[in-house]
Amino acid sequence: MSAATAPFRQMGSDRIDPLLVVLWIVLIVLALIWIAPAVFIVSTSLKSTQDVMGGGAFAPPTKVYWQNYASAWERGRFSTTFLNSVIVTFVKVPIGLAFSAMAAYALSRIKLPYGKGFLALFVFGTMLPFQVMLAPLFSVVNGIGAINTFIGLWLPYIAFGVPYQVFILHGFFKEVPEELSEAAIVDGASHFTIFRQVFLPISLPVLAALFILDFVATWNEFAMALVILLNNRNWTLPLALMGFQGEFGSDYGPLNAAIVTTVVPAVVVYLIFQRYFVGGLTAGAVKG
Amino acid sequence: MKILRYTIAIAGALAALTTANVRADELVIWSRTNGPAEDKALKQIFSEFEAANPGVTIKMETRSVDEHKSALRIAAASKAGPDLYYMWAGLGLGGEFVKAGMSAPVDEYYAKYKWNERLRPLADAYTTLYPPNRHGVPYQLNGEAIYYNKELFKKAGIAQPPQSYDELVAAAAKLKQAGIPAITFGGSVNWHVMRLMDVLLETKCGAKAHDALIAMTVKWSETTCATDAFNEFHKWTSEYTLKPFMSYDQTQSRKLFEANRAAMMLEGDWMANQLRTETKTPQEFGVFAFPTGTDRLYGFGVNFYINPNGKKDLAAKFLDYFVSDKVQQENLGAFGPLGVNKNVAPKNPDVFDKAWFGLFDQYKASFVNGDQGFPLDVTTEYWRIINAVATDTMESGKAAAALQAFIDKRG
Amino acid sequence: MVVVPSDTIVLPRRSWRDGLTSAQAQGWILLAPALAIYAGFALYPMIEVFVLSFQKWNGLSPAREFVGFANYIFIFRDDPVFWMALGNTVIWTALAIVIPPILGFLLALALNQALPGRNALRAVFYLPVVIAPIAVATMWKWMYDPFFGLFSTLLTDIGFQSFIPDWLGNRRIALYSIFAGYVWQHAGFSMVLFLAGLQGVSDSLVEAARMDGASRFQVLRYVILPALRTTTTVVVVLSLIQSLRAFDIVYGMTLGGPAQSTQMLALWAFTQSMQIHDFGRGAAVAVVLLLMTIAVIIPYLLWRARNDKAQGRSA
Repeated sequence: MSAATAPFRQMGSDRIDPLLVVLWIVLIVLALIWIAPAVFIVSTSLKSTQDVMGGGAFAPPTKVYWQNYASAWERGRFSTTFLNSVIVTFVKVPIGLAFSAMAAYALSRIKLPYGKGFLALFVFGTMLPFQVMLAPLFSVVNGIGAINTFIGLWLPYIAFGVPYQVFILHGFFKEVPEELSEAAIVDGASHFTIFRQVFLPISLPVLAALFILDFVATWNEFAMALVILLNNRNWTLPLALMGFQGEFGSDYGPLNAAIVTTVVPAVVVYLIFQRYFVGGLTAGAVKG
Repeated sequence: MKILRYTIAIAGALAALTTANVRADELVIWSRTNGPAEDKALKQIFSEFEAANPGVTIKMETRSVDEHKSALRIAAASKAGPDLYYMWAGLGLGGEFVKAGMSAPVDEYYAKYKWNERLRPLADAYTTLYPPNRHGVPYQLNGEAIYYNKELFKKAGIAQPPQSYDELVAAAAKLKQAGIPAITFGGSVNWHVMRLMDVLLETKCGAKAHDALIAMTVKWSETTCATDAFNEFHKWTSEYTLKPFMSYDQTQSRKLFEANRAAMMLEGDWMANQLRTETKTPQEFGVFAFPTGTDRLYGFGVNFYINPNGKKDLAAKFLDYFVSDKVQQENLGAFGPLGVNKNVAPKNPDVFDKAWFGLFDQYKASFVNGDQGFPLDVTTEYWRIINAVATDTMESGKAAAALQAFIDKRG
Repeated sequence: MVVVPSDTIVLPRRSWRDGLTSAQAQGWILLAPALAIYAGFALYPMIEVFVLSFQKWNGLSPAREFVGFANYIFIFRDDPVFWMALGNTVIWTALAIVIPPILGFLLALALNQALPGRNALRAVFYLPVVIAPIAVATMWKWMYDPFFGLFSTLLTDIGFQSFIPDWLGNRRIALYSIFAGYVWQHAGFSMVLFLAGLQGVSDSLVEAARMDGASRFQVLRYVILPALRTTTTVVVVLSLIQSLRAFDIVYGMTLGGPAQSTQMLALWAFTQSMQIHDFGRGAAVAVVLLLMTIAVIIPYLLWRARNDKAQGRSA
């Protein structure tokens, strides 16, 4: 039911539909309400404490107060935590995705004993709430001596990222026509080669979608990092934001600057790769 | 599952690589994040000690309060960890580490270095909480008392700081009449409102019953003064406290206090520093002890505990240097308003210094915050009940019974 | 749309010089990393939750004592917070499977019309989904600030000063205050799924219905809604699962307070284990939540498997 028609017209009609105009206005108002928190946060992040306490909620700052960002950056030690988040995300996402793609290939193109069972096991994991297992996760990671290390965070991150990716990629790989890989098989290529030279290239759009989705999820993850990264030198941005709120919660300007700093990378990535993002999200949920 | 085990082994090996090797002559100290003055003083002390003891290096690792506790718990399990560590002395905190075998008895070092000849009795008392042995060496001594706004007191017609609990209540009533909220707390973090309950419990029950209640050796439900204290507590939170207080924290509360929005705050000696820097007229604020009617000051001590698996002798040697007259005099004020050594005196005391010195001299004993006395699960329940009373969710008359019910069932 | 036979490729074992060249061995190698990590750090902790719930453990000491059902008896009978947390979880879940999906559905219907700037509008409603839940919590906590926050300032501006509630400090409304932030974050998620579902509604069917003189409501009722049945189920189940997981947003806004009145199962399990250091009781709470989740997951996955089969696996 995609509307290729001109604005404000019902499908198959060329008259302007007054109800649609009303609807449009309602939507605009609703969108303004929806975006208001973001506007409020950004505007507070540019206000001095006096402005925050004195002026109205949406009053523009009397003087743009960029110092809040410098102050938040320094006091929240965001240079360290930002870098930590970058390391955690940019190591975890590619490795996790590679492992998922490998597993998805094996489960979709190679006959393995209990292959269907393994697939079911992964699918089961797509909905498993890790929030329930924070304590055992802590003790498992502590058991291998990896508390306070990125390895200790990457492993559970991968463990809980793999199921959804395997599920999506398995569905995709299964649909790849056999002819594509037959030639390679005749040439005696191994599965490793076929996977790398045939399947990876054709699945780039799916991989990109999953990459973006996983990037945002990993960047935003809080609960697991909370139990595994105890030392604030290892903190990722969400932990640093929480710590900042606890320590400097009444310095409203810097607090909001800290929020903006934490949120912006994920938002920028989303805005740039919007198409992939929504694609990756809906691919698994609604096959329509 | 073999693969799994290998993976774990490899990951473990990788993790081990990231842990630095332990040097034989390195003294490792863990603490919670230091304040700026404290940090500077410690660095100075470390370098002096290192100079006096060639070959020795001191490494201090600091973390936020909660991480510090977690890191120590993990260290306790793995037999790793520091040689010395910072911990609040109360039975619910330091006591737990002593019980877990994370602290070496220090009786022999007390005999060897004669520490009790120079330690302040109030501070020294915190090392004898764990019979049969002494544990820990005093690092810091903190008191909590009422800060008040002189101007607002005058406005409400209160001539001088209350000397008794009845006078305090009368003062609160006068403030209320003048349209001034008497006291402010941040309610979003549990332990600030708890302070009010702690001091009321001491006021209503006296020292002995207070300690028995915190030690859970008498029943809360059968001790009428406990219910009296909850009733008084409810009176304060419903009538004399700046509202709404449940959703903001103590820092916000302090900002409101500084902005003359409330007349009193129940805070630690450390708030003097914030009043000095955050307000233009710190002399407009005064300090008096919460008039509990007992001869004990509300506050707590912090000890440095020696890890039995660490370098005990070196640690003791450092502590001896730390509590020496010279170090304590040179760094007075860096570790709380006054040091743990009784032979030192301040040079240019301001209004807050004088007030706190007066209090520390006046009192020979103290009673600690509830969360330092209770085990963790009881603390959590104590907070819940206090907050429930403060938010009118629970009748104050039923609070003591509710707490006792939890204590009875905890098993 | 490509329909391929489900046969997988089986390579002939041409060389025995190296075991790695056999198709199966290659398969195992490709599968192993993901499977090992998944098993070690997702499945094993899940089993561990069940084991722990029958033990007394402080999380660190080597000794774990088997205590039978003692932890369950404690949380069901003696824990003053557990039932509150369970009740809140049920209320929260009930709201979460109704409000964000309905809002998302209405938004999707509206934004499926020919309206100028609808892509920008979609982006606006979807934006909160990509914000870290902990940041959403921090944002909303600040907006609820009783003195300088957005809501209090706005109410003051229009003269309703005396009606400003203590959004997060009043136990009667705190849970719903948090939930408002949750709706803000999650409505866009439902919207996107419904938009995708609407792509599957046949244009010609809608047009035909309209030609026959069906009203807007009739088109919605008899053409669009039936076509969205699968999507709706998916949205509701995903919303349900997400709501059971709610952790960050409560942690960030109230930590379960005041007086544990916004406590929920996931957070209470965490508090018992990681803050009170009673891993056994924490695990027992977690098991309750885990069983609730699994009771939803398994039937849903079976339903999906059946559905996929019925649709001939067409993508």
